[in-house]
Amino acid sequence: MIRKYVQLALKVLARRKFFTFISLFGISLTLLVLMVTTALLDHVFAPHPPEVHAGRTLGIYGVSVQSETGSGTGFLGYKVLDACARDLPGVEETSFFRLHGYVSLYRNGEKLRSFLKGTDASYWSILDFDLLEGRTFDATDFDQRRPVVVINRTTREKLFGRQSAVLGQSIEIDGRRFEIVGVVEDVPIVRIVAYSDLWVPYSTARNDDYQQQYRGDFMAILLAGSRADFPRIRAEFEARVAAMPPPDGFDVVRSGADTFFEFMSRQIFGDRMETSHAGRLRWLLTLLAFLFLLLPTLNLVNLNLSRILERASEIGVRRAFGASCGHLVVQFVIENVVLTLLGGLIGFLLSVLVLGVINRSGFIPYADFGVNLRVFLWGMLFAVVFGVLSGVFPAWRMARLDPVVSLKGSST
Amino acid sequence: MIHLENVSKSYRTERIETLALDSINLEVETGEFVAIMGPSGCGKTTLLNLMGLLDTPDQGTLSLDGEAIGKQSDRSLSRLRNRKVGFIFQNFHLVGDLSVVDNVEIPLLYRTLSSRERRELAAEALGRVGLSSRISHLPAQLSGGQQQRVAVARAIVGRPQVLLADEPTGNLDSQMGDEILDLLEELNRDGGTVVMVTHDPRMAERAHRTVRLFDGRQVQ
Repeated sequence: MIRKYVQLALKVLARRKFFTFISLFGISLTLLVLMVTTALLDHVFAPHPPEVHAGRTLGIYGVSVQSETGSGTGFLGYKVLDACARDLPGVEETSFFRLHGYVSLYRNGEKLRSFLKGTDASYWSILDFDLLEGRTFDATDFDQRRPVVVINRTTREKLFGRQSAVLGQSIEIDGRRFEIVGVVEDVPIVRIVAYSDLWVPYSTARNDDYQQQYRGDFMAILLAGSRADFPRIRAEFEARVAAMPPPDGFDVVRSGADTFFEFMSRQIFGDRMETSHAGRLRWLLTLLAFLFLLLPTLNLVNLNLSRILERASEIGVRRAFGASCGHLVVQFVIENVVLTLLGGLIGFLLSVLVLGVINRSGFIPYADFGVNLRVFLWGMLFAVVFGVLSGVFPAWRMARLDPVVSLKGSST
Repeated sequence: MIHLENVSKSYRTERIETLALDSINLEVETGEFVAIMGPSGCGKTTLLNLMGLLDTPDQGTLSLDGEAIGKQSDRSLSRLRNRKVGFIFQNFHLVGDLSVVDNVEIPLLYRTLSSRERRELAAEALGRVGLSSRISHLPAQLSGGQQQRVAVARAIVGRPQVLLADEPTGNLDSQMGDEILDLLEELNRDGGTVVMVTHDPRMAERAHRTVRLFDGRQVQ
């Protein structure tokens, strides 16, 4: 029966070209926006290269220090990480890295603004970068404080063009020369752990002052054996931080190990180190999606209601030949869901084009947004929800029409 | 087959109440061909709608094939309509978006049949009305007579026990009207019960008997 309803829906849509066009136009634009947003969120939060282990990775992104007179939050200092984040139970590998920020490179008198990160050797094994040339730096480079640098593809092309060899050449970063040992593929700025233009061992810092800082420019990533290890990792880390003597003038130090989604929820809800707000962020995103769907849903409801009169005869006939109200509700909702699914497919194809335009625009550095099965399934879920929401009320109204009145309504 | 006892039906608007049927007593036997005649607005279609369970009486009792029709659920009434009644309308009421065969299949959608079984039964019904070659056409591509024959096929495809025809020839010329009447007679000869509303005495003469209504009352 459902298959028949789907077939009938397709026939009706094919015959009612103007209605179909108007409806699909609105539906596909709505779903396009939702799918593009979903694709962007997917690229921020879901596992994508080089953060292929994001599903079992926790990050330590910030620290909070408090006193009776005030408090401060910010990126971590090395001291906290060194004291609390090493050898945590359930963690397979730990990496500390620092965000040096933007530095200026010069080539043929031209200034190139590039982002610099300082990392350890574990960083390269937790993250799966696409290595285009050479190698990344290893524990020996790190321990011996060798001035080596890994650069990304765009920096390579801007500094040296595509043809000439770059390995073994050196570039000046912040007044010091670093030997290029490897080239990796660009990583979009939305992946804050992996994003950079230049990576050097943080052991090459000019001095070791950073090792005494509670707050600084460090972050850490912890590769757990599985997600099941998260609770004990968090508990142990928080306990260690709580036991740490606070810096002068402060009473309490707080930090936590989060997924990136949890970290963002803390940023959005303004509470960096206290309880998790991941649930609130999920609800907020769901609510925003619902509100965004509401207006086009009401439009489609209106369009469907306006068609009741047009379909009165059909409703009367179906009732006369044995359709119950339930049959008609199911039929009309399926028709609507078929329509929104078609709109969803068109929206999905359009979102591929729009994401391509965003990638090429350079608006988001190194953006490589695209769609995948996850985005597709979310898009189809949006389409079904849209179809059901906009279909149920008109379907109920249609099904409740008095068959006698319906049969008087119109003729073929 | 159909039994009505003291059946009354009225329609109310905000200002007035119109008595459409007043104390109708009627028995339609299995295999009978009954014509219902009367001037416009006398309650013919209302009577047919009550017989076909599209409407319910305000007073009196109604039974169909021995089953008393009371305050059944919508689902139960729909099931009875689907199994026992076939409708033919003056305006054909074919669904313009659907092909001929899809229109004929409509009653079968509400039964537990495979798509193949539905298609076979629809093709058989269309063969019976002489439209096997038109199954993929849209209603708008057919003449009025052909459209009404499609409507007849739709009415008989589920092999109902009673056919209710509301002025089935009203929108057709006399030749096409005769063709439709021939079909109804044939269906009646094969054992089907037919109740037909008509204005046309010539058509009514072909029924076994005629029930006449005037101002909602049975006059003969």
